[in-house]
Amino acid sequence: MSATLRWLRARADNVATGLLAAMFLAFLVQIVSRYVFNNPLGWTQEVCLTTWLWLVFWGSAFVLDERDQVKFDVIYHWVGYRTRRIFALVSAAALFAGFLASFPASLDYITFYKIKKSATLGIRLDVVFSVYALFALAVIVRSALRVVHLLRGGSLADHEEVPTI
Amino acid sequence: MSFAFQLCLLVLFLLAGFGAPIAHSMIVAAVVYLAVAGQDMGLAAEQIIQGIYDSFIILAVPLFIVAANIMNEGTISDRLLEFCKAAVGRFRGGLAQVDILVSLIFSGMSGSAVADAAGVGKVTINMMIKSGHYTPGFAGAVVAASATIGPIIPPSIPMVMYALVSDASIGYLFLGGVVPGLLMTVSLMAITSRLAHKRGIPAEEVVPLRKLPGITFRALPALLMPVILLAGIYGGATTPTEAAAVAAAYALLLAALLYRAVTWQSLYNVFSESARSSASVGLVIGSALIFNYIVAVENVPNSIAALIAYLDLPAFSFLVFANLLFLLLGCVLDASTIILVIVPLFVPACRVLGIDLVHFGVVTVVNCMIGLITPPYGMLLFVINGATGIPVKNIVREGVPFFFALLVSLVLLILFPELVLWLPRQFGYQG
Repeated sequence: MSATLRWLRARADNVATGLLAAMFLAFLVQIVSRYVFNNPLGWTQEVCLTTWLWLVFWGSAFVLDERDQVKFDVIYHWVGYRTRRIFALVSAAALFAGFLASFPASLDYITFYKIKKSATLGIRLDVVFSVYALFALAVIVRSALRVVHLLRGGSLADHEEVPTI
Repeated sequence: MSFAFQLCLLVLFLLAGFGAPIAHSMIVAAVVYLAVAGQDMGLAAEQIIQGIYDSFIILAVPLFIVAANIMNEGTISDRLLEFCKAAVGRFRGGLAQVDILVSLIFSGMSGSAVADAAGVGKVTINMMIKSGHYTPGFAGAVVAASATIGPIIPPSIPMVMYALVSDASIGYLFLGGVVPGLLMTVSLMAITSRLAHKRGIPAEEVVPLRKLPGITFRALPALLMPVILLAGIYGGATTPTEAAAVAAAYALLLAALLYRAVTWQSLYNVFSESARSSASVGLVIGSALIFNYIVAVENVPNSIAALIAYLDLPAFSFLVFANLLFLLLGCVLDASTIILVIVPLFVPACRVLGIDLVHFGVVTVVNCMIGLITPPYGMLLFVINGATGIPVKNIVREGVPFFFALLVSLVLLILFPELVLWLPRQFGYQG
């Protein structure tokens, strides 16, 4: 992994960590405000849900690597190396095709929300939801890179070193 | 079943079978369904985004993950360990019994079996191996089996997921897990005691009684955690999601202020590690929601319910059938996949047959936790193997008696719904 990519990845990790910490803090503010000061807040709930949405897709796009994902890899590890290569190639190609095919429609859905703002903070919902597009884009780029890598005869083990994006 | 849905299932099984991440496979399968059925492919994005953005209860999942990781980072687990050693170390197979008791108490604070095995479980494995009386396989098997108690005693991440797909009350599900968790503890301790006698594993040095108050006092703030959590939820003060945040905050306060065991760097690592786990679980939850949407559009759960009503299957036979199926699936699938994707198919059938959804939920979660220790796909086996290097094969071989002990508990829970429902009913559950 090149130094630049490693640096980018570390920053992506900072963002994910910050999102989780922000969500946790917002929760605490909400609880203290409601139970100690008897003054329920609306915005904290929205912060929690927004940071959670971002954490899931940002994390899945830029932070998680292959071994962090929930997988059913019993068969994958059972078959021989050549078959495993074919499995990996088919999976990557299918992910590429599936996410690419649905990308325009997903983008349509997200941009449709430019007319709506979130309930308490008034953030435009297309901005809130845009993180899904980032995630989909990351999957498209990553699986394309993987297909190219495997077709060029690159080894499977190398892939573990291929960065998240 | 429409052609589009058949194709969707085929793509899902093929991709997941080829080793692609389950979440991504579900999204691609959903896109294939929408395309073939001639629907808007943007529906996939809509379902996953709205599913995650609208559901407040899932927020408990990342918060419970944070709480468990903080407890493992601080010295909270160590203090509990010392307390349990004083309490049950004096029995035969002392360290193994200590591990089971620690798991029971730890499970009252964390909702995750993996956190239990990777944290305090790793410590007890090392202690057992170092003592020279336990084979590594046996130590690994005890820890794997006892970690399954984690999500049965509240709080519980899998139960939050079940509540999400079944609309059963989380509060009553949590209460319903208490007696089953104790039952599993008792049956694991009994089998350990039997094995220890057979193999001549000695007890630990007896901790003098006069030392007990001091040790208990040192562990007291940690022991109070389950009390705070449950009192918060059942006193009606906090929602389960807020209780999860309180648990994490309490663990952080204890570790940082009282025990002074956390540095800024380790705190960062805790949040970074938790962010990874949360993102990974969150994506599976979100994509399972798209899949459930399709399954609902295809009317699959209702067809299953109608079929079962037509077959005139007694409720008990249905429960046995569902449990056998979940046990088999548990050998090859992740627990969250079973709860989020397979279980919803059976929820309407339970309603038709008059099976209580809290009873069904608790039994299902116990069943799926047993699935965490059954090969070839057993998450706890992998976690322990990863943390200690003990070969999976050895853990599995030594784990057979523990597996049967847990299975006996499961059968009792299926036969006697009262074991699950008695406690919730004391707190006003009408089911």
